[in-house]
Amino acid sequence: METHDHSHDHAHIENPVDAAPGYYEVMETAVRELLIEKQFIGRGEIRRQIEVIDSRTPALGAKVVAHAWADPGFRSRLLADGRAACEEFGISFYDDTRLIVLENTHKVHNLIVCTLCSCYPRTVLGLPPDWYKAKPYRARAVKEPRAVLTEFGTDIPDDVEIRVSDSTAIVRYLVLPRRPEGTENYTEEQLAALVTRDTMIGVATINTVK
Amino acid sequence: MSSTESLIKHLPNDIGGMPADRIEQIDHILLPWEKRCHALADVLDFHKIISTEEKRRGVEALGSDIIGKLTYYERWIVAFSVILFEKQLLQPEELALRMAEVEKRHQREPVL
Amino acid sequence: MQDSSITAAKPQVSLLKALGEDPSLQVGDVVRVSVRYPVGHYRVPTYVRGKQGTIEAVIAPAINNEDEGFGRNSGLKGYYYRVAIPLTVLWPGYTGQPTDGLRIEIFETWLERI
Repeated sequence: METHDHSHDHAHIENPVDAAPGYYEVMETAVRELLIEKQFIGRGEIRRQIEVIDSRTPALGAKVVAHAWADPGFRSRLLADGRAACEEFGISFYDDTRLIVLENTHKVHNLIVCTLCSCYPRTVLGLPPDWYKAKPYRARAVKEPRAVLTEFGTDIPDDVEIRVSDSTAIVRYLVLPRRPEGTENYTEEQLAALVTRDTMIGVATINTVK
Repeated sequence: MSSTESLIKHLPNDIGGMPADRIEQIDHILLPWEKRCHALADVLDFHKIISTEEKRRGVEALGSDIIGKLTYYERWIVAFSVILFEKQLLQPEELALRMAEVEKRHQREPVL
Repeated sequence: MQDSSITAAKPQVSLLKALGEDPSLQVGDVVRVSVRYPVGHYRVPTYVRGKQGTIEAVIAPAINNEDEGFGRNSGLKGYYYRVAIPLTVLWPGYTGQPTDGLRIEIFETWLERI
């Protein structure tokens, strides 16, 4: 989708109670009400799904990464079948997608993108940021990944191979960042605190602990 | 290839490799209706009413002018409406009437 | 102590597979992405069409997403494949490293073994 990004027009309205619903909100309200009245969807399903969406944040992915760092058996299972390992970890997948976890090493750096739309590992990372859905990232990540990474402040050495994964179908991706040096005695909780959303997309790396 | 052929052969969302600007690392907190719209997409997909792939196709079908001018979730709700009409699950007339009624609801409650 | 009766070989069965049960392409196969122009909806981006790559993984069978876009949610499934294509193949004059590559999922009907 050609995206003309309007996010700067949407100043977050703190308390929109008195603001008239816009045209599209009216449409959304009307569609939802009619679908419920006709019993195509259940009363309360939307509210429940909002709670599901809100419960998925990058903290989930960070826990998976930390556990993979701490437990070599889990790490192997995660790399063999991302979805099954996450489910074993207690993370449900509410859609039909599969998950391939991409391991960063000293020789390979992974980056994920969806050039055609905005496919993203929502079940473990939550909703994607606007920049991930906008044209510049989607157009350029597959053509000049090193320049894109530099814009994010990430420089990948020439002897490291960059693999860009473009999601087009049923597979979603999660990057397993390299564990920083100096964290050998960290608890899983401490490890998870190091892992940010951008490191699991692959536009950032976790800096070596000083 | 005629100039119009390329409009059909090359969808507006097919942008991998095209020239583009610097990445602005922007994000926004979803408005409540946008969150509800995303939840609606998930629920429709779960019930096999509108699959994620049907939604993608429906958004593409809006055409590049509308795609360029509407925001992400605005495109979704318009696409959903049209797909629901195509599947005869909703009728254009009933949606239009309900939308007018929703608008009037707000007008009936005076803002002080 | 090893009991040879416990370490007996797995039972052998002879089986016929259903049509389409086994993938037609394997990891390591060299493939070319087809060139064609579906009207209305597609999930193989233009930038990979006609390019040569290697099968890196076989993905579980699923419905052709071009058909799914128009409402299909049952019926014939096919394999998706994770295909590796060097960025130097995709972009003439690529200025990154020659080892840099794309990975992309492509439905079986778009891939020709070469």
